[in-house]
Amino acid sequence: MAENPTGEKAVNVGIGEYHVGSFHMTSIGLGSCVAVVLHDNKKAKGGVAHVMLPDSNGKTDRPGKFADTAIPVLFNELVGQGSNKRDIVAKIAGGSSMFKQFKGNLDIGGRNVEAIKIALEKCHITLAAEDVGGNSGRSITYNPSNNGIITIRRADGTCIEI
Amino acid sequence: MELNAKQLDAMKELGNIGASHAATSLSTMLMCEIDMTVPEALVIDIADISDYFGDEISALVVFEIQGELHPGGYVVLHLPKSSAIRLTNTMLGSTDMEREFNEMDESALLEVGNIMVSQFLDATATLLGIVMLPSPPAIAIDMAHAAFANVVSMIAGDINEIILFRTELTSSLHDIESTIVMLPYDDTLGEILDLLDKLVSIKD
Repeated sequence: MAENPTGEKAVNVGIGEYHVGSFHMTSIGLGSCVAVVLHDNKKAKGGVAHVMLPDSNGKTDRPGKFADTAIPVLFNELVGQGSNKRDIVAKIAGGSSMFKQFKGNLDIGGRNVEAIKIALEKCHITLAAEDVGGNSGRSITYNPSNNGIITIRRADGTCIEI
Repeated sequence: MELNAKQLDAMKELGNIGASHAATSLSTMLMCEIDMTVPEALVIDIADISDYFGDEISALVVFEIQGELHPGGYVVLHLPKSSAIRLTNTMLGSTDMEREFNEMDESALLEVGNIMVSQFLDATATLLGIVMLPSPPAIAIDMAHAAFANVVSMIAGDINEIILFRTELTSSLHDIESTIVMLPYDDTLGEILDLLDKLVSIKD
């Protein structure tokens, strides 16, 4: 698990999982998967979902796994815990195309990003920042208490903050 | 899909036969001894894949299983970056470990992967009495979890647990480790188990 500067261990959000709280969260090795972060700066808390595929086709057993179910479930969870809808913004990272040989319909990363943007619009959530696409992996760490800054480490070792 | 103990054993044996053929071909290519571990059959929740594949940079060579079970699933050859570079160094007669991956490495890894996975599939298919062929390979040099999850996303739309067959092949002479992972679709796994059941009774 990723260490953050304060030494506190971050909770790993595995594929298809989602977590909500004010603790540090991390998602390692995002390829075609996308980490969706919904952040409430006033409450200094938020949630992360590790989305694997765009469309649930009606399945509800693992809402964090699909773009169309992950966003409503994170959003409702935050609102249920007292967040004001207007204070919630989104940041997304991932959705790359890991294998140049897989094209078209097999570009799951691109389809994930598209489906997430549609789902965010449906819930009227502002997309505050994104680092998506390309063809390399990313690991992210999200710190709800530090203005919701997400640190992204790319496969080539470079780090950026969004 | 739930597997009973006999079915897991039979799948491990199948993996054993496939992997030993792959090991022989690797041994011939590198002209050295290759050790292999007893194959594992693991049932893993997709959320826990990060316990098996981290974000260290690796080479993943991916093949779709074609032939009679098409679409059958995927076979992945995984090498950590240092092992991948040592492997191509050994083949190409270089000793430079500090370099970055280049196109020559990629094409060497595609070729090694192709030979090993063809052997792996051919041996398992022959035992089952069917034809299994690898598709042309795809390669990613990236975080292992990122690339592996991309492959998993192609088979795990309807399922939350994957069955993963894994064997490690190592060369102590060249300090190379590699892993062969087979990721069958649920239907394919069922068909393989039926075929195995005809050879040795493994159903309860």
